Amino acid sequence: MRHNRLLAAWLTAGLALLAGCSAASPEGASGGATLTYLTFETPSLTASFWDTSIANASKKVSGVTIKKLVAPSTDRDAYAKQLQASGQFPDLLQSITPSTFAQAGLLKPYDQAWVDANFLLPLGNAYKGKVYIPPTNSQIIPMVFYNKTLFARAGITAPPKTWAEFLTVCDKLKKAGVTPIELGGGEPFAASMPLSGILSADVLGKNPQWLQDRYAGKVKFADANVQTAVAKYRTLVKNGYFETGALGVKYADSITNFTAGKAAMYMMGSWFLGSVPKDHADDFGSFMTPTDDGSLVVPFAVGGSMAISAKTAAPDKATEFAQAWSLDPGNYKALIEGDGAFPMLKGKTLADYNVTVTQVFKDSYAYVGEQNNKVSSFGWATNDDSMPSGLNDAYYAASQALFGSDDVAGQMAKLDAAWNAATK
Amino acid sequence: MRRGDPALGAVAALALGLYALFIVVPLGMSAWKSLTDENPLLAQANFVGLANYRDMVHDDALTSSLTFTLLLAGAVTLVANAAGIGFALLLNRTSLSFRAMRTVAFLPQVLSGVIVGFVWRYILAQDGILNEVLVRTGIVDRPITWLGSPLLASFSVGLVAAWVLTGFTTVVHVAALQSIPVELHQAAIVDGAGPWQRFRRITLPMLAPGTTISVTISLITMLKLYDIIVALTSGGPANATQSTALYIVKLAFTDDRFGYASGVAMLLLVVSAVVALSVTGLLRRREVDL
Repeated sequence: MRHNRLLAAWLTAGLALLAGCSAASPEGASGGATLTYLTFETPSLTASFWDTSIANASKKVSGVTIKKLVAPSTDRDAYAKQLQASGQFPDLLQSITPSTFAQAGLLKPYDQAWVDANFLLPLGNAYKGKVYIPPTNSQIIPMVFYNKTLFARAGITAPPKTWAEFLTVCDKLKKAGVTPIELGGGEPFAASMPLSGILSADVLGKNPQWLQDRYAGKVKFADANVQTAVAKYRTLVKNGYFETGALGVKYADSITNFTAGKAAMYMMGSWFLGSVPKDHADDFGSFMTPTDDGSLVVPFAVGGSMAISAKTAAPDKATEFAQAWSLDPGNYKALIEGDGAFPMLKGKTLADYNVTVTQVFKDSYAYVGEQNNKVSSFGWATNDDSMPSGLNDAYYAASQALFGSDDVAGQMAKLDAAWNAATK
Repeated sequence: MRRGDPALGAVAALALGLYALFIVVPLGMSAWKSLTDENPLLAQANFVGLANYRDMVHDDALTSSLTFTLLLAGAVTLVANAAGIGFALLLNRTSLSFRAMRTVAFLPQVLSGVIVGFVWRYILAQDGILNEVLVRTGIVDRPITWLGSPLLASFSVGLVAAWVLTGFTTVVHVAALQSIPVELHQAAIVDGAGPWQRFRRITLPMLAPGTTISVTISLITMLKLYDIIVALTSGGPANATQSTALYIVKLAFTDDRFGYASGVAMLLLVVSAVVALSVTGLLRRREVDL
């Protein structure tokens, strides 16, 4: 009998432990709920930012307690999948790629009326017509940032508009003893930025449906137009416009190298605007990856907030919290100033956010409001143009491989094979 | 405890139960999953027979990762054990300072692989300590891209893994050295044997059982290497340092191919078993020859 009681106590303790490990506790009679919220940290989105943003949004939702989870790397999709595989899928998931999870029925779409009422591009990152992450802000990925002082030193008076002009600029910089383009190639996503810029400009610029066509099997990476675009990246490498050891440069170091004037240009997502040094911000400008004919192509991605689990035990509280977070003015201020986010709230101007931003931020943000050729950012869009699971990794690996190899056809064939395997 | 003692039976049953629960059952589950198309995001999985195993034949990424893993395991095992024997010979003294040095030698083995990876990442970075020393002393003109070229990154992973493993191989060989009776050496000296002859005829044969253990464990450790690589190179550049263990995790949680990843895990298990058993058999025969 004594043994039975001991066994029961152990089992109860074990069950309590398991319950503690699982996601949301349901909304009880008091209306309270504990929700797990998957976040990630970067140099701009620090632990302090998340803690503050969670505290601010929690104040607007009665009886909710948020348990913050932090992805061990910026790859929150992979971590969310690990949590799902171990039965711990979070209730709220920040900035994941919704397509994979939505296909599996793991996400709850937002009320479209609420989305339509609050955001400039309500369907900006919709997947199959439904919004799983509110389009709170947008990014241009990549932009070409440049150092005006170094341009002037090389006798360059204006940023290039065509690809030919871009090559001339690179050549002038190199002759002036300046590294033309900074590349944080040690981080796979950063290594892919120049290629993303070129592919977005040359391939998606001419056929904005290219990714949809790839899903439909109408186009391939091995097609001549794609290979021609990729060959441009090889030209940049072969001409010595990057540092020889660029694949050994860490992402964080690439930012400091560029801001310290060690290179004249930097192809990176618009979040770099949050890292522009305030004391000499006027030294920096931005332009889009140039095309052959000089036409403007803006690689665009919309997102910025969190997805809600379809399996959460407290859907109402989860939605309330997510909506409160997505509209919190404090978050917008922090994201605009620290992460270079372009706000997408309806009926607001930059002045309404009470932010202090640089001129290069204002100039870059202007691309968002202008009527221009916006295309999905290659490899970054989280809408119907998002790439299938695993393709981003294959694409990053191809970008790194192409830094040291002329085998464009071989790398494109690998990408086609990876795409076919992922969509089989 | 006597033979036939019920307590002995209970202890044995508990041990077998735990072994079954934590080793046999997960292994069986993995083997079963390798015959399905399980996706970590979907509740249902379909039985696909041996399709995953057939797919492996055409999987270039698997071939690359397996080749890298086997080469790395072979090279690191060789280097770490050679270095381990060398350090063991140097540290085989009984004074306090030598005992302290043996502890220091074992330290890399105690550290978490992730910490080791991050520390070495800073050492081997473009502007890291190693390049700083090499450039300042004039040995090289410009920093070497230790982690940025496929070949050098592979070498760097091997270097760091060997550094970690050498702590373990040193301790194993020190223990083996200390089990050699002093009288054997004294008798050999009386018989006029020189240092090389004593090493060749006494030390090396007596070290052989320790070497067998050290080599086998080194190989198994290297064949499943994951943590150091994740922190040091993340498998890059261009997947050049992607070990099979890394590839399995990527297949499961990035590509959503849990069933296929289980198949690759089973393959790695078989490869590890074959390599470990072959090498152990070979070394045991060598022990007899020596």
